[in-house]
Amino acid sequence: MQFRTFRKYAALVLVGSFVLLAMTQCAPAAAPAPAAEQPAAAQTGPAATVEDSCTNAVEQAKQFAGSTINVVWESGLQPEDPKVFGPKFTELTGVNVTIVEIPYVDMYTKQLQDYVTGGGAYDVLTLAPIWLKDLVNAGALEPLNPYIDKYMNKADLDDYLDVYGSDGYARIGDTWYGLPDDGDVFVMYYRKDLFADPGNQEEFKAKFGYELAPPKTYQEFDDIGRFFTEKYSAEGIYGGAFQHLEGQAWDWFVGPFSGAGGQFFDTETMDATINSAAGVKVLSDMVKASEWMPPGVQKWGFTEVLSAWLDGKLAMIITWPPVGRWSEGIGKGTDQLSWVPETKVVGNVGYAPEPGGRSALAGGFALGVSPNSQNKDAAYLFAQWMNCPATSLERVMLPFALRDPFRKSHFASEEYKALWPTAGEYLQTLESAAMQGQLELGIPGGREYMVALDQAITAAYAGADPQAALDEAAGKFNAITDRLGRDTQKEAYSQWLQGQWAQPGPKQ
Amino acid sequence: MVAPCLRHQVGRHHQKALWCCVATSTAQERTGRIGGRWTPWLFVAPSLAIVVAVTIFPTLYSLYLSFFRWEPTLADKPFIGFGNYQELFSTGRFVNALAVTALITIVGVALELAVGFWFADFVLADRRGQRLVVALMLLPVMVMPVVVGYTWRLLWDAAYGPINQILGWILLRPVEYTWLGQTSTALLAIIVTEVWQWTPFMFLILYAGMSTLDGEIYEAAEIDGAGTWQQFWRMTVPLMLPIVIVAVLIRAVDSIKMFDVIYTLTGGAPGTSTETASYYIYQVGYQFFRLGYGAAASIVLLLILSVLLTFLLRALRSRMA
Repeated sequence: MQFRTFRKYAALVLVGSFVLLAMTQCAPAAAPAPAAEQPAAAQTGPAATVEDSCTNAVEQAKQFAGSTINVVWESGLQPEDPKVFGPKFTELTGVNVTIVEIPYVDMYTKQLQDYVTGGGAYDVLTLAPIWLKDLVNAGALEPLNPYIDKYMNKADLDDYLDVYGSDGYARIGDTWYGLPDDGDVFVMYYRKDLFADPGNQEEFKAKFGYELAPPKTYQEFDDIGRFFTEKYSAEGIYGGAFQHLEGQAWDWFVGPFSGAGGQFFDTETMDATINSAAGVKVLSDMVKASEWMPPGVQKWGFTEVLSAWLDGKLAMIITWPPVGRWSEGIGKGTDQLSWVPETKVVGNVGYAPEPGGRSALAGGFALGVSPNSQNKDAAYLFAQWMNCPATSLERVMLPFALRDPFRKSHFASEEYKALWPTAGEYLQTLESAAMQGQLELGIPGGREYMVALDQAITAAYAGADPQAALDEAAGKFNAITDRLGRDTQKEAYSQWLQGQWAQPGPKQ
Repeated sequence: MVAPCLRHQVGRHHQKALWCCVATSTAQERTGRIGGRWTPWLFVAPSLAIVVAVTIFPTLYSLYLSFFRWEPTLADKPFIGFGNYQELFSTGRFVNALAVTALITIVGVALELAVGFWFADFVLADRRGQRLVVALMLLPVMVMPVVVGYTWRLLWDAAYGPINQILGWILLRPVEYTWLGQTSTALLAIIVTEVWQWTPFMFLILYAGMSTLDGEIYEAAEIDGAGTWQQFWRMTVPLMLPIVIVAVLIRAVDSIKMFDVIYTLTGGAPGTSTETASYYIYQVGYQFFRLGYGAAASIVLLLILSVLLTFLLRALRSRMA
């Protein structure tokens, strides 16, 4: 074949590709219509009075026996929960449950991708409050109200701890897009033995002029941490630690920032105010605190903090609820927790909300239904059964569970309080921390804003000036706002701020 | 087509030969009429279809997408012309990512080349245990970059990492430096990790090339009084240049696309100081779902790669000529 001829045909192929491209554009490449416009399967069914959501979910799901639902769950330790309860549901109803494990960083993307491409690979979705607005705007979440009306005892909605049932967590206004399923909140754990030591009490008071007690402010946190490091670092014990690792470092900024009255944006102009005096103060405090934390803390993630804490090497940590249970040896000896180091702090763990007046409601999950699901009712019924008071109590008490108490009935459970001697105190702290919690920024682009903040924080940990780092973050915030539409974002932010757990300022 | 056949229609097998001739000519006519011009295309059609489907079409679609503000969470997907390209170069972050990519590529590939060259020369000079050395050198190349990233992350660890421990033995004091947490050393750590994994690749190519060089010309040069250094610069380097260009080409393209090690080692942190172009594209495209913008960044990266490839291939061609 002559080269000229080849060129001619190559050009034909290219033109063909363009035609194909154009045809693809003529076809409906965009996302399917928003879920709200699609008729929900449950709307056609008769309404009935439901007494027990758990029993009713099982009874109703039996009509879908033989079908299979795909359930998205965070990979790692989290799926150990549905791996226990999925087969139970199958046994009770005949509905097969397949768990699709996705790493946290990919969960939002993959679930949205599945919806946009019309894949329909997932039936039950896992959503975090910070993704809620974006997923709803994309139409990627099925409104659950018709299913709730049909299948649930509505009193169960009131059983969610107020913060987890609040607007912006798993619902927008009166429309539920998910069933809140995890009470993620930051708690401070401290070594009661070190705090109660008379020598430490005396020395600390002499040095700082106030009693050694669990810190309520960041200044106290800094004083106490520095004190313990100075005294015990030769023995390998440090004042404390929290995660500094990129990707989630921003969660330790959110609580103190809100506690200091900091706002993400100016409500009038929608200009970023992350670089306000409150923001700079909080970031400077965080950087200062890392000075007395263990060497290398800048790259510490969840596992490093957990290991050092359980090994008795830290006086204080700020992290998620499961650590409190594992500190007391709950789940010890199970295969699922074989990777967790032996705890050396049993009986010596005290609990307190995050210092600074607000505890970050970091993460948190809700169970939703995909609009692309071919079996929405079965998917919803599985979510309802997992989430109903009786099953969810079993789940949050599962020794290796990562789901934390989120219902009022969980916090009141005598069965839970009997798990270890201070379980009651633990539950009380979780509840009070959550009730004075600060929600993650739940507006469109929330994740993108937080990644910009995360970059500022890790830059400051690496030596950048906190003011300069936050100024850069503010610039990125403003660029995101402009791209998404300043007016739209302003409205979304104002609406989000109306929520009790979004408003800044200390809460006791 | 029938005429040549008639020449064979003689002798004992006249009838059979005639039948064969008719059959052959019919097939030839059919082929000539239907497939003559199209036969080559028919043969390449399956591969061509695959190339169009998985390479040409996605590339063109990316180009098309790059002119739109395509984000699934937004109701509209408006045409914005070169808006995405303008944003790429106005915010500075993409430019920074390109600069980081260039730094890692230039320094990393240069070190890999230098060390690979030296090692190939060393192994060739001393032939004892050559096979074992070559086999051992293959190991890092065969490890998945993700595994390399996670392994080196442990090696660089401030408290438990052996790198600090070894430095402590040398300096006779505890070293607890956070290599990956400091802007000044995070990039260095990435480059060292890259060099560790890919120098053996460079070594293998150069070793294979140097093995083919004729020893007699070195003997002649030695008789003429050329020293080792002169032999290296004036003989080995010019003779090896085409191979060096190919090796650099492969490694540079690979390094520009680097993602795995960044993802596992630093995640682009501290701040955005170790963010490469590929990592940035991953973040905007797959974490924030800004597909139009991500497509624009990919197109720019593709253009850069094309320019680099053209430049290096031209150098190679002129060298070969």
